[in-house]
Amino acid sequence: MKELFSFLDPPFDALAAAVALAGIFVTFIALSSLFFIWLERKVAGRMQDRLGPTRVGGKFGWLQTVADGIKLLVKEDTTPNGADRILFKMAPYLAFCASFVAFISLPFGNGIVGRELSVGAFFLMAVLACEVFGVILAGYSSGSKWSLFGGIREAAQVVSYEVPRALCVLVPVVVAGTLNLNTMGQQQEGMFWNWRVFHDPFTLVAFFIFFITATASCKRAPFDLAEAESELVAGFHTEYSGLRWSVFFMAEYGSMFAVSAAASLLFLGGWHTGFLPFEPSQEWGLLGHLLNGVVFIGKGFFLVFVMMWMRWSLPRLRIDQVMMTCLKYFLPIACVLLIGVGVWELFAPDWLESGWRYLSSIGSLLAILALIVRLLTAPLSVPKGQLAGAWTGLSTPLMRASGR
Amino acid sequence: MILASVVRTSAGVEAAFNLADYYPIFIFLILLIAFAVGTLVASQITYLLGLKPYKPTEVKLMPYESGMDPIGSARMQFDVKFYLIAILFLVFDLELLFLYPWAVLAYSDGADPKWVEVFRRMVFWEIIVFIALLTIGFVYEWRKGVFRWR
Repeated sequence: MKELFSFLDPPFDALAAAVALAGIFVTFIALSSLFFIWLERKVAGRMQDRLGPTRVGGKFGWLQTVADGIKLLVKEDTTPNGADRILFKMAPYLAFCASFVAFISLPFGNGIVGRELSVGAFFLMAVLACEVFGVILAGYSSGSKWSLFGGIREAAQVVSYEVPRALCVLVPVVVAGTLNLNTMGQQQEGMFWNWRVFHDPFTLVAFFIFFITATASCKRAPFDLAEAESELVAGFHTEYSGLRWSVFFMAEYGSMFAVSAAASLLFLGGWHTGFLPFEPSQEWGLLGHLLNGVVFIGKGFFLVFVMMWMRWSLPRLRIDQVMMTCLKYFLPIACVLLIGVGVWELFAPDWLESGWRYLSSIGSLLAILALIVRLLTAPLSVPKGQLAGAWTGLSTPLMRASGR
Repeated sequence: MILASVVRTSAGVEAAFNLADYYPIFIFLILLIAFAVGTLVASQITYLLGLKPYKPTEVKLMPYESGMDPIGSARMQFDVKFYLIAILFLVFDLELLFLYPWAVLAYSDGADPKWVEVFRRMVFWEIIVFIALLTIGFVYEWRKGVFRWR
């Protein structure tokens, strides 16, 4: 990025590059959170047998989020009487800050990275963990009991899920031998059996544990105890309205994309399609970089979609279940995975390593294909054009009058 | 400078840690603070222009307690369980800090392959001992009932 501004004198080129990058990232987070809010509603609607937003206009009601954005911009910002005013105003920006800074170390393609950090993976985890400060401050400073409960719960939950998440990041780091996210992406070049998730049985399990703990530390359902609507009204953001509330949501969707992108970089081959035996940016130049960016963002968006899928499929857990799942299951499992991958790297012979790699990758591909074929060819539960579970028994007088 | 300019890892030769790489992050942070101050100022300006309503009333500014008048202060005591969780976190997070350098360097290729082979196994068994000691602490906490949510 700095090279683009080489016509400026030394201190100013770095500054200009930083300003440009900041602009790009803020735009990216804002646009992707607009898209995610629309997607969340559509996914929720489809899963609950309804249509989701349709009324405002646009294809599939996409103007709904634009209308929401305008509403939030011109909505009154209230600060409750009991609130600690400075902390109350600071909290959303603190949360946004954490998820924003995490984007610097994410490579969107081969070398397309805000700042190539030699400790990228560690930096990403450390910075994303700081989001909890914003939430705790919001809970404490609101001067409302619901907010306080939400903030305290969030603190306990994120702090405990931090440990298995960081342990699961260590599993691919042991294999890669580096913390540099760009190098990690480059190592997974080529066909999809080079992806870390298929490297050995431990990374395969670590991917799922990482994804679950990352969901929990983004306070997404089924772990959204900080804002449990049925228990705490809206949890930590009960007292927030207007622009400040939307900054919290930008932070949440931003960190959802950041952890999904981290998962795809650490386990799912980063910006590689998995079906090209070479690095596209070296063969095709700018077109290859474009392909890399599209694939990387696509993988991130797909994992965010999976998070939404989980949210609308599973019921919310109780606080004790959430904490004990982490401390009694994820923490020991993550420790075993770490030792396991260490043993595998030391003692696994080459035939076992390459055998597992091809077997697991091709097996997973076949399993996914079989699942897709099964879903597409399965008999429909109700004929096309009818709703599942709709009343088809005795007709009402109104229906009889209309001739049905 | 004590640190070498390049480090050799199993991922190849990389640039070593350089604090100057991290300066742009502080520029980012300054920009973000500017963004926060900018939105606060912009929201004040929209109030002045009359684009946003500002009509505070006594009831509107009351902390929300499901429609009731708030009972007591919100600065109340919370359960000691959460405090125990925080203490647990400290122990395990320190463990992680020690494991990160091991994970990066343990399987990197050094100059002499024979020495690397010996070193790798030795460090691996040290890490096993380290994790075993932590496991003892974990089991002790479990037996003490720290993980029971009462």
